[in-house]
Amino acid sequence: MLIFALDSTAVVGSVALCRDDTPLASFTVKNGNTHSETLLPMAKALFDVTGYTPDDVDVFACSEGPGSFTGVRIGVATVKGLAFGKNKTVIGVSSLEAMARNLLPASGLICAVMNARRGQVYNALFHANGNELTRLCPDRALAATDLETELLARGEPFYLVGDGVEVTTSAFQSLTPLPVASIAAEKNALGVAACALRLYKEGMRTTDQELSPTYLRLPQAERERLEKEQAKKGSEQ
Amino acid sequence: MLPQEIKTASVQETEAVGAQLANAMLKDLSLPPFVALYGDLGVGKTAFVRGFASVIAPAALVRSPTFALVNEYRGKSKPLFHFDMYRITGEDDLYSIGYDDYLARDGIALVEWSENIPYALPERYLRVEIIKDDQEDPDSRIITIEERKSLC
Repeated sequence: MLIFALDSTAVVGSVALCRDDTPLASFTVKNGNTHSETLLPMAKALFDVTGYTPDDVDVFACSEGPGSFTGVRIGVATVKGLAFGKNKTVIGVSSLEAMARNLLPASGLICAVMNARRGQVYNALFHANGNELTRLCPDRALAATDLETELLARGEPFYLVGDGVEVTTSAFQSLTPLPVASIAAEKNALGVAACALRLYKEGMRTTDQELSPTYLRLPQAERERLEKEQAKKGSEQ
Repeated sequence: MLPQEIKTASVQETEAVGAQLANAMLKDLSLPPFVALYGDLGVGKTAFVRGFASVIAPAALVRSPTFALVNEYRGKSKPLFHFDMYRITGEDDLYSIGYDDYLARDGIALVEWSENIPYALPERYLRVEIIKDDQEDPDSRIITIEERKSLC
């Protein structure tokens, strides 16, 4: 089964072509947020060097968020366009799970983080047992300092992975993550392909029409909304 | 050169101050590439941007992005992002105009109604405030330009 995977939810853009769980080719670019310029040329090169065409692809996959607003939309739209009218399976995956999956065959607690700006991160926690991941919480947005409080309470060593590693470690007062090879955060389309393969094996057969961006509410925005609602309630009473 | 307080007597003079700042930023690359604009409706913020853009992106047709929320002008060496935060009410709004994505690019940002996004200003920015200073003379303005550090 041929899987085409794409990730553009952060600064790094990447595409990959896999035969089941075997990577055939992948490209990564990190030259600023210019996914609209780089993704399609990379996809074309991917097909050119492997000799396949988009018609040979069985499953199109992309990370549908969380991540940068522009990046998420470009990625989802690009995959929708590539798969349009082909009647193929199209699977959207969590960008956080994709980067956590890049660490396999690790064992232990994996903390995936993306930079959501202003001290906040998109995060999910996973437990890895060497060949599979167990999700410990849904994808969420929270302050990096709150994440540290939670990790302290867990009290176990953890891997930190993703484009939010730098902001997270600088926000942490006392915790230090286990060392991770820096390349792990940047081969994300392969993680996307691995997530999509798992979902496909579990029976997922979604189409291009069902693929849609996933946005997470930032905690500060949530707070503002609650404050406004409370102020409104107060004035009504 | 900063901080600076300049008195202008016409729209053209306000534009010229914008152009002056753009030239100063081209010369002194240590100045932050983020200009936060403050001032009431009709005080001349867009005129200031027009003058600024005439240096960085001479071909740009500068309009207030009240409805578009952000205009991008292709510059000679850097793109210019012209934001209007008048209708931005929180971080969700900011996220959905790709604010951080624009700032991550190597450009210059000019932000009208920065009053609305105090929590989202970068670590270092240039603060430009335009005020009407004379009841008798409706075209007279005082423009203050200074470098600021954000509180967050």
